[in-house]
Amino acid sequence: MNGFFAQVIPPSPFNAPNGSAELWTRLVIALLLGVAAVVALMKAPVSVRKPVVAVSTFCAGLYWVVFFLWPRPVNRLPGDMPSGLVDGVGFWLEDANPIVGNLSNVLSAFLLGLGIYSLLRIHGMRVIKGHKDAFFSAVLLLGILAMGVFGYWDWLDKMSPTGPSLALEANWAFQNRVRDFLFDGLLQEMDAGMFSLIAFYILSAAYRAFRIRSIEATLLLATAFIVMLSFMGLVTGLLDGVIDGIKGTADPGFLDNFKLTEIAKWLRATVETPSLRGIDFGIGIGALAMGLRLWLSLEKTAVSS
Amino acid sequence: METPVTPPAMGFAEKLMSVKRHTLYLLLIVATSVPTFFSITLPNKPDQPSIDFFTTVMALPEGSTILIETDWTKSTRGDSMGQMQALLRILMRHNIKFAIYSTADPAAPQVARDTIGRVSEERRAKGERPYVRWEDWVDLGYFPNSEATNNAIATNIRKAFAGKTEVPGVGQPATDVFRSPVLSHIQKVGDMPLLLVVTASKTFDIIVERLYGKVPLAAMVTGVMGPESTVYYASGQMVGLCVGLKGALDIERMMESGVNNPPDKPVVVNKKNPEVVPGFPGDDNEGNGKAYYPTLHLALTLMILAVIIGNIGMVLTRKGAKS
Amino acid sequence: MNYPLFKLTLGVIATVGLYTVLWKENKFYRFWEHAFLGLAAGWSLVALWTESLKSVWWDKMVGVTAEGGGVDTPGFWPYVLLLPIGLMGYFVFSKKHNWLSRVPIGIIIGLWSGQQVQVWWNRYGPQINGTLKPILPTGDGFFVPDTTGMTPEEAAAVAGNLYVSQAITNLIFIATVLCVLSYFLFSFDFKNRFIRGMTVSGRWLLMVGFGAIFGSTVMMRFTLLIDRMYFVWIEWLRDTVLRIGG
Repeated sequence: MNGFFAQVIPPSPFNAPNGSAELWTRLVIALLLGVAAVVALMKAPVSVRKPVVAVSTFCAGLYWVVFFLWPRPVNRLPGDMPSGLVDGVGFWLEDANPIVGNLSNVLSAFLLGLGIYSLLRIHGMRVIKGHKDAFFSAVLLLGILAMGVFGYWDWLDKMSPTGPSLALEANWAFQNRVRDFLFDGLLQEMDAGMFSLIAFYILSAAYRAFRIRSIEATLLLATAFIVMLSFMGLVTGLLDGVIDGIKGTADPGFLDNFKLTEIAKWLRATVETPSLRGIDFGIGIGALAMGLRLWLSLEKTAVSS
Repeated sequence: METPVTPPAMGFAEKLMSVKRHTLYLLLIVATSVPTFFSITLPNKPDQPSIDFFTTVMALPEGSTILIETDWTKSTRGDSMGQMQALLRILMRHNIKFAIYSTADPAAPQVARDTIGRVSEERRAKGERPYVRWEDWVDLGYFPNSEATNNAIATNIRKAFAGKTEVPGVGQPATDVFRSPVLSHIQKVGDMPLLLVVTASKTFDIIVERLYGKVPLAAMVTGVMGPESTVYYASGQMVGLCVGLKGALDIERMMESGVNNPPDKPVVVNKKNPEVVPGFPGDDNEGNGKAYYPTLHLALTLMILAVIIGNIGMVLTRKGAKS
Repeated sequence: MNYPLFKLTLGVIATVGLYTVLWKENKFYRFWEHAFLGLAAGWSLVALWTESLKSVWWDKMVGVTAEGGGVDTPGFWPYVLLLPIGLMGYFVFSKKHNWLSRVPIGIIIGLWSGQQVQVWWNRYGPQINGTLKPILPTGDGFFVPDTTGMTPEEAAAVAGNLYVSQAITNLIFIATVLCVLSYFLFSFDFKNRFIRGMTVSGRWLLMVGFGAIFGSTVMMRFTLLIDRMYFVWIEWLRDTVLRIGG
């Protein structure tokens, strides 16, 4: 198994020369076995379901717990061999680390496709059934298709060892220009536009709802005002200039403590940071407890139940 | 037939609390549009976290390689692009090589590549050496799982990015990134003098959790993430922090004036370290920070006035109700 | 029409189209909203393969042919097993077999939760350490003396002492953390007046933190809007259409 986790290049049972019939044979057999396992799970009795999910969750988390607790190899150099069981397990855990990391990346990538599949399904059905909003669904599907086609085409051009350098816009072909238009000209600008809409709602909500009806609301508002004013260099410059004018000397003095920049800095360092730190500690304790409960499938979530 | 009932005329207090939302929207659009036509320089005093960030980046050894996690897209262009642009200008002027990777958004790598391309073109237009992909920087790609990726980087950076290839030049095949001049000398993440994250999300949490102690960390975050990330800066888990538009402006100003410079009458004073850090006076240092700062003043003033007016209306209404 | 003008003009039309929702929901807004979703989904499809899956999964599985006389990288066939595991997630759409989708999700959750043991101390250890500040003054005087003009030894002596103002600041810092923590942890009813006072103070001090978050959030959201206005008025209108700017 170490041959796989260490991703050793010399021949091992877990690898085969690329493009070889041996590799493809093993791939196909492994895939068929994997599919067979899925089919077997589909036909498994209901009582097996919860243990299967719990065991897979536990084994996945077990690696990281053992990785944290097991003694790590010290000053390991390439080509070193382990001496003893403890060292051997340490080597194995260390070699497996990027593979296990990749496992998360690959599975997350496959699951991200769920959202896209869902979009295709819902909007595809709307178009096929002639829903009243079919036009907008068609626009969405056309967007997916256009970006998919030109995005891949542009990528293939960039990865090609032949052809001119695409770092220069003058060398762009039609597909490169369309990809740039769709991504940079439309997608990114609309992304920014969507996010900027929140500014309007913040202003409107603050005007309508931000009322000093209690001590808490007053404290919140006062701090927000001080922080917003401290972002305005013109205001801090003017107010600090008033203090400088009263102070009259070039040396720092007691009155410097009343400058808006100093008040904001003190508030940030002495009250804001510790209060957020307290929130963070509370969240951290909760996350640790939740992590343990999820790992041991003690939490009755949609995953374990 | 019922006679129509005319509603009583609104008092001053009610009028104050009844400004239509479309009026507010229009005022906001005007407040954020008009100042953009004017180039105004306003005073600004950089914050200590920004000063620490600037001095850290300026102290990077020439020719060294740093890792940049770039997790922003144009949705936060206002904050992040100005920060990234300022950072790239400093790195390119000091010949610092960098490798970028992303974990938060599939669009982030392309946005970062576009920004690097723009800053590099800016150098080419001035007759300076442009930054060349493969020689000066590499793109390690997008990884959907931030926790796993940063864990892998902490354990073995070569294995974390094993199999990543780039095309060294026209007519050349895709080659392992660890054969590029950027990463050939990197065996572990600690070989890099700095890991920077430019982010609009909470990926700096994940980086601190997995990479603190292995490599010095610094961050450029949006305004929303500022208070939370300040907690890490305060505890020493980050060596520098640049927050929002103000942070971008701080960096731009320090690029112009330096820190503790000139020694006899410094424009920006670093209270933690008296070392003089000369900037790049007279060079192209301005960006989004300077361009957007005056407009930010007007927008924040509008926000403050809106809240004050609403509260004045509330107080007057209560007084009126009591009497 | 040249390409930069065309690109920027369509970007402006799309931005304005999205902003029409501020007036009221309308078909023009819905068109651009759906276009945005489609392009975002399409890009996710592209990036998932080109930026991620190809190098971390496919190339590792089938190996890479080296060009220019280098050594080929072999393919590791066990990676193919990730395909059926990952595709199990799509059973969420099946009424009968949707429990299978919990297997890959459970693996990802297991991997995350297993890491919490390791990451907890990395994240909170230095913060706990940073919270334990000294609160007993050692220096003479209320305020920290100005070190301008002092010798390095004198300045080091000042830096090594804790003055009353610093001690008070540190006490406020620690008290804030404890009060906020007590607000979260002591969520049940307490008869003890001291603890109740702590939780009430914690709530007030939390408001200071939230006020700072609100102020920072406002700055950031307004910056996004300023950026959009800059894009419309300066980058498009002034610099591209009217060609006035530099």
